[in-house]
Amino acid sequence: MADWLSRHLVAWHPPRWRERYREEMLDVLDQHQVSAWTVLDLAGSALSAHADPAYRMAGFSMARLRRAVAGPAMILATLVLVLGTLVAFAAYQERWHLSGEGGVGEVAFAPGRGLLVSAVGIAHQDSMDTVWDVTDPARPRQLSAFQGGEPTVLSPDGRTLATVSFGGQPVLWSITDPRRPARIAVLPTKDGSALWGEAFSPSGGILAVAYTDRIYLWDVASPTRPRLLRTPEMPVTNPPPYAPQEFAFSPDGRMLAILTGTDQVTLWNVADPARAARLATLTGPRDALQAIAFSPGGNLLAGVTYHGIVLVFSLADPARPVLTTTISDIMPDALWPDGLLQHPDAPPCPSCGPADYAVGFTPDGRSLTVLVERQESSVSGDAAITNDSRDTVFTWNVTGSGAVTGFSTAFRDVVGDLPALAPDGRTVVDGAPHSNAVYLWTLP
Amino acid sequence: MHGKFDDLGRFADPSLLILTSLADGPKHGYAIMTDVADFSGVGMEPGTLYGALSRLERRGWVRPLETQERRRPYEITAAGEAVLAEQVTTMQEIVRVARLRTGMAWGS
Repeated sequence: MADWLSRHLVAWHPPRWRERYREEMLDVLDQHQVSAWTVLDLAGSALSAHADPAYRMAGFSMARLRRAVAGPAMILATLVLVLGTLVAFAAYQERWHLSGEGGVGEVAFAPGRGLLVSAVGIAHQDSMDTVWDVTDPARPRQLSAFQGGEPTVLSPDGRTLATVSFGGQPVLWSITDPRRPARIAVLPTKDGSALWGEAFSPSGGILAVAYTDRIYLWDVASPTRPRLLRTPEMPVTNPPPYAPQEFAFSPDGRMLAILTGTDQVTLWNVADPARAARLATLTGPRDALQAIAFSPGGNLLAGVTYHGIVLVFSLADPARPVLTTTISDIMPDALWPDGLLQHPDAPPCPSCGPADYAVGFTPDGRSLTVLVERQESSVSGDAAITNDSRDTVFTWNVTGSGAVTGFSTAFRDVVGDLPALAPDGRTVVDGAPHSNAVYLWTLP
Repeated sequence: MHGKFDDLGRFADPSLLILTSLADGPKHGYAIMTDVADFSGVGMEPGTLYGALSRLERRGWVRPLETQERRRPYEITAAGEAVLAEQVTTMQEIVRVARLRTGMAWGS
């Protein structure tokens, strides 16, 4: 409503003003998140322009006077109506947001800007996104909230947020001003297949969008004018539930790693997206990979499987990757949801689901971190509710050649959901299952 | 207090922010809004932006460049740079007096 009204208010400016500024102002409105303030501001601008001798129409007639009075009167009447609607909507939105049904589903980071975006909601497309200032992690501040959908990934410069929004289409949002997120583009979905993930290239110029059967690359160097790149088909098979690590660009942006089978990762050379070529297939033990991550130097790729087997591949020659490390004994050291370690006979509860994983490196590339979260869930209506969970964090020293030494574990004990590792490799982010709360944990 | 900004009325402060934004190069409308939000934290609305831009243009302090698709960049003129420098000098004097009178050492 506010968007519609603001465009009409542009048309209520004097003709000479419109000739000069209409097109560029509509372009600004395309990129701006329109609010009640925008409407009021434009109403003031229209009245001010009508009073401005430079734009006021020459001559005088009763018909003109009637038109001049009718315009502001209509503006005023519509404003009263619209403001009432907006206030009611804002009140509803705030109430909906605070209830936070479903818990925090995804989080995205913009470490350079000290921002974190969390998404909360049962259905992905209805998710409410909250932008947080985490410059001081001990005192996070909520900057804004908007119904943007999930999953959420942030461009490396922290200015563009990609979500899947209403109708299942990828949507780009500008959070250049994190207090006023603005929708800037919708990427059309061609074949109607379900979207399960998005990832920005390290330069931020390319957005990879993964559907259930293949990945598309978009040129988003100019986010307001995204362009679908013509690429060879990059297939995906049996995609696991969404997690940011399940397909990833290498740190130099020249490679894309995609889970293409339950136990395989395919490496693509995407240095020139138009000539994307398959480089190699990485195969580990016959166990479904759940999460993958490149080392900061791009010379290693780590993964963790359904049963908690940790794999490290050396990509010294990306065309001939070598499996350098297999660690298959971490799960006995991972806490069960009741906080215990040893369950020799059976899981401690019948409703304990499979573990969730996150994997990452520290920025110096010397430490590998794997986070294991075991959950006990129950079903309420159509939604799975996490009742209890325990995270266990494993860290190893890792050499440039992919050899792993040392071993440490850090336990924590919190009811959380969907853990994630921050880009520093030392901060764990977890969402509360029944609210929009986000927990930040620094590893010892 | 505002010198040449006096007759800009309610557009005086937005005009100062716009001139400051354009001081490092031409920008189109939305780029000005985001830049101003970045360096000052002020969320400028489109009506205010174009109200101020039209006044700055008429005074010859900014100059519109050729439209690129629907976007028209603006650049600051020599006269605009001069009036901006004058305004900054005035503000520095205000800061100096305020520091003296409050005994506060700001931003040192």
